[in-house]
Amino acid sequence: MLSVEALTAGYGRIPVVSDISMEVEAGRITAVLGANGAGKTTLVKALGGLIRPMAGRVLIAGRDITGADPSTATRAGVRLLLDGHRVFPDLSVHDNLKIAAITTGSRREFELLCDEYFEVFPILKQKRKDYARTLSGGQQQILALTQALLCQPKVLLCDEPSIGIAQALIPTILKELRNFASRGGAVVLVEQQIQMSLKVSDTALVMDRGSIRLSGLASDLMSDDRIRKIYMGN
Amino acid sequence: MSNGSLTGGRGASAPVSQSLKDNGGLGWRTLEEPAQLVLAVAVVVACLGLPALAGNVYWLHIAQLCCLYASAAVFQNLLVSDANQISFGQGAVFGVAAYSFGMASGLNGLPLAAGAGLGICAAVLVGLVLAGPSLRVQGYYLGFVTIAAAMVFPEMLMAFNEYTNGIIGIGVDAGALRRPIVGRIDLLTIVVAVTTSAAFLVHRRVRLSRLGRMMVVSGISPEGAASLGFRPGRMRFAAFVIAAFFTGIAGVIYVPVIEFVSPHSFAFEFSAFLFFAMIVGGQGRLIGPLFGVAVLYIVPNVLLVDLAQYRLIVYGFMALGVMLLFPDGIAGSIIRLLTRSSARSANVAVDFHALGAEVEQQLRTSSGGGNGTRAGTQTDAEAPELVRLHNVVRFYGSVAALDDVSLAIRRGGVHGLVGPNGSGKTTLLNAISGFVRPQGGSITVFGRPTAGRTVADVARLGVGRTFQAPRIYDRLTTAENLQLGFDAPARAPGRWSAAFAEANAGWLHREAASLTHGQRRLIELYRVALSDAELLLLDEPAAGLSPDERVVLGRLVRQLCSEGGKTILIVEHDLNLVWAVADRISVLESGRLIADGTPDDIRGNPHIERLFTGSDDEAEVSDAQR
Amino acid sequence: MAYELAIIFVRGLGLGAIYSLIALSFNVVYMSSGILNFAQGNILVLAGLLAALLSPPEVSVSLWLVLMLVVGCMLTLAVAAQGAMTLAPLRSSTEQHSWLVSTMAVSVIIGASILIVQGPFAVTAPYPFPGVRILGVRTPFAYLAVTALLVLCFVALQLFLRRTRTGVAISALAQDLELARATGLRVRLLQVVSFGISGAILGVTGFVAAPVISIAPDSGISYILSGFIAAVIGGMGNLYGALVGGPIVGVMAMSSAYLFGGEFQNLVLLTLLVAVLMVRPQGLFGRMSTRHV
Repeated sequence: MLSVEALTAGYGRIPVVSDISMEVEAGRITAVLGANGAGKTTLVKALGGLIRPMAGRVLIAGRDITGADPSTATRAGVRLLLDGHRVFPDLSVHDNLKIAAITTGSRREFELLCDEYFEVFPILKQKRKDYARTLSGGQQQILALTQALLCQPKVLLCDEPSIGIAQALIPTILKELRNFASRGGAVVLVEQQIQMSLKVSDTALVMDRGSIRLSGLASDLMSDDRIRKIYMGN
Repeated sequence: MSNGSLTGGRGASAPVSQSLKDNGGLGWRTLEEPAQLVLAVAVVVACLGLPALAGNVYWLHIAQLCCLYASAAVFQNLLVSDANQISFGQGAVFGVAAYSFGMASGLNGLPLAAGAGLGICAAVLVGLVLAGPSLRVQGYYLGFVTIAAAMVFPEMLMAFNEYTNGIIGIGVDAGALRRPIVGRIDLLTIVVAVTTSAAFLVHRRVRLSRLGRMMVVSGISPEGAASLGFRPGRMRFAAFVIAAFFTGIAGVIYVPVIEFVSPHSFAFEFSAFLFFAMIVGGQGRLIGPLFGVAVLYIVPNVLLVDLAQYRLIVYGFMALGVMLLFPDGIAGSIIRLLTRSSARSANVAVDFHALGAEVEQQLRTSSGGGNGTRAGTQTDAEAPELVRLHNVVRFYGSVAALDDVSLAIRRGGVHGLVGPNGSGKTTLLNAISGFVRPQGGSITVFGRPTAGRTVADVARLGVGRTFQAPRIYDRLTTAENLQLGFDAPARAPGRWSAAFAEANAGWLHREAASLTHGQRRLIELYRVALSDAELLLLDEPAAGLSPDERVVLGRLVRQLCSEGGKTILIVEHDLNLVWAVADRISVLESGRLIADGTPDDIRGNPHIERLFTGSDDEAEVSDAQR
Repeated sequence: MAYELAIIFVRGLGLGAIYSLIALSFNVVYMSSGILNFAQGNILVLAGLLAALLSPPEVSVSLWLVLMLVVGCMLTLAVAAQGAMTLAPLRSSTEQHSWLVSTMAVSVIIGASILIVQGPFAVTAPYPFPGVRILGVRTPFAYLAVTALLVLCFVALQLFLRRTRTGVAISALAQDLELARATGLRVRLLQVVSFGISGAILGVTGFVAAPVISIAPDSGISYILSGFIAAVIGGMGNLYGALVGGPIVGVMAMSSAYLFGGEFQNLVLLTLLVAVLMVRPQGLFGRMSTRHV
């Protein structure tokens, strides 16, 4: 679904990730693991078009979107969910959803789509008229996830969706990611926490200092001690 | 001391050899600026000299005016491009000088010299007034304040018409200055030529000076300047006063050239003209103002003199057109064209071996530097405390960045500070430097409390630091970037050894813009070492470095400690690096200090491993509580 | 004395409404792009000039309304085009001086065009409504009309920014630009639209206020200044702030003109600006942004 070929990206003149190649397949959750500063966020930002890659290619279903603006990338089907449960704080929940549904044309279509997600996340329906800043961290993350799903992406890039939210809500979010994958979507799940991520994902990559150090099936990596070594330094 | 120098050991050859093929060319600043200077002076002399010799009074007059406008625009350039202070008030400064002169000599009969002196003093006074708001606001806010000042000035000339002659203006007889003294050339022409040439020379001199470097750094990165012990506010004042003084001189000479001043000449449009001339000519380029004045004054006012009503509109379109087509301005675009074929874009080959040896030599000879007596590789429990945090608390909203942290950094050794994202590491560094004020508890640095001290004060106690994004200033050369360390007020002014400067001139004088990220990190580190700070705070120095570069960095940190006599506090995510360099490690989690000990203690602590791998329920729970 | 006070307040509030409208227009562009359009003052004056040129001496109410729409539309398009041109050379950041010079150059061009068309003297525009008495003060109807326009624009802008998808997206740009990009909003297009909206506000304001503004080649800059001060007092980027800031500036300007004379008006405003920036740079309604090292 999403192919990345020899991607190098960073900020200004500083390359943070270099020569990354990976394949993300439909219907699967691919975990990207790594310690702080390994370059995970930079990687997904480059895939989502938020930063322009210095070298390499990004293809979505065969279409080259390297260096495309995020407005193009999202319409091509790659949507990045930023870390830190970010939503527009001074917009209502409803407005947050409204502007996120960039691919939906009519109001009717939007309402129908919303109702679908209101069933999954009743809290959003309940707080529809409240400002997003009044939501808890976890509720904001649910809102941000729904925003991302509303634009009906082919590939969903999730940057640390579990950070800063209540423990009880993490399974809800992970379950929805699994649902999305089972409907044929591809998920890239950036996480720092090893066990939790490997439990929900199908395949996994481990990044270290800007490159991929390890990759394989999540079930195989579960018992692999090398991950711990990469995290802690050897 | 087997290695002999602070080079980061053998690995340092990696960044050096990257681009050895290109070490011939000098940077544009070194190469171009003297050429620009010579060209500017030659043009000024020719423009004034030719009509003077030919006896063409009209062209001589135009040339004199343009030269004075250009010299005012030179200092507009210094203020905006070097010191980064947006001022639209330079026309008012120019006008105040001219009017004070006119009032003193034209209305009250003071001798010309006395009137001129008064005019310059008045200009400096206005410069000081404009500098006031710059302490509080920057950018376009400051721009608007100066716009308002430039608008108000002519209105005041009208309001106080009993002193200024109001709309009638003031005539000043300067016939004495127009008598030929050398051949057909009069004194006034010589004065204009000298003043204008001097303006370009002064600008270049300031750029080469310590003050000039401090102004640039204070303008681009006030926090970077303060961390070296500079006081950004004073630098802003200095920039405004220098600009006002020299703009005042130009304004004063304008009076005998025109022999008449009126409020209309100094309307806001004049201030805008000086600003436009600077930008259109090529912002930051030494010779830019000359091009700017030529294009924006001569074309509409002289070449289109028969189309007087279209003068302003042509002027507007020229400014807009240049901005849209050549965003770098005229001089900028020309220089870019001329240097495109040379090796400008290629990486600079920095000889870190030579630099390391030189820095070590400098540290050895400087007063407070590493003479080896306090060198130690292990943190000695008896060693004196350089930093002491006592129950420090800092919250952002309801989030604890530092929650009751007590910690001592002792002299000698490398102290590592680790923890997950958002655990308060950088806040702790910022609290020591004085960027962040604790809400509770106290911090002492070298035995003195930091409360009530500015960042620059703390830096002057002997604290140096680097930043997550290295503070390397592209507008300066590599040598100047390093030289900022010599410029630090806490040390005696230093200079390169002659042998080093000569042998390494090839890369030293290249513009810093072409340095790679890895080179920037190391240059910033060498700079802070040169500043003679005894305590170095390094904020994620390995971020963005390649594995090879990390090895070099690690060795350099170790050597700065053992051979340079520095004490180092390093915040770093790369645990490999921390294990390799630190003598002692502190661990922060959610703003709390959860462990403090030797690397072995920390490594063996299962809770800390869980903290970093996040693979345990306990860590998840504590994560959720945040 | 009571009469003078009444003049100060009635005229001050009327003038303040114009400043508020300029401040609103500043804010719309600033919210979406971080740019301050220095050409705004002269765009307002241009709209006034168009009113003077297009209206026949005895203009009827219906024709006046039609012309208002025509001028509004013309300036909407013109300012949108100016916005597209200003934004074109800017890559990602506004930390360049290029927009400063290009917007000021546009201002110079408009001023110069007015000079060519009209000469250096101020012109007056015909108006279909006679003056009225408020608190015993003879007041040109334009002051009333522009106050009504302010209320209308404010409400319309609030509705637009809260109710329509485009409007909500523009407010989103101001709240979190990176998130707006990640959401897939067409940032550049929205910024051009907000330039257009600012042009609509200025165009209609200049037209409606034509009899009471100074339609001269060099008066634009003083409207920019007053409008900017109104925006700063209220808090840059805050619509309520603009609503309140304008009348404060208007009343201050009128009372300083009464107390010290018209030539000291700008000096008092400059002092006000410096005082606000020194004491409360974020304005009455603004929030202080925190900076990280």
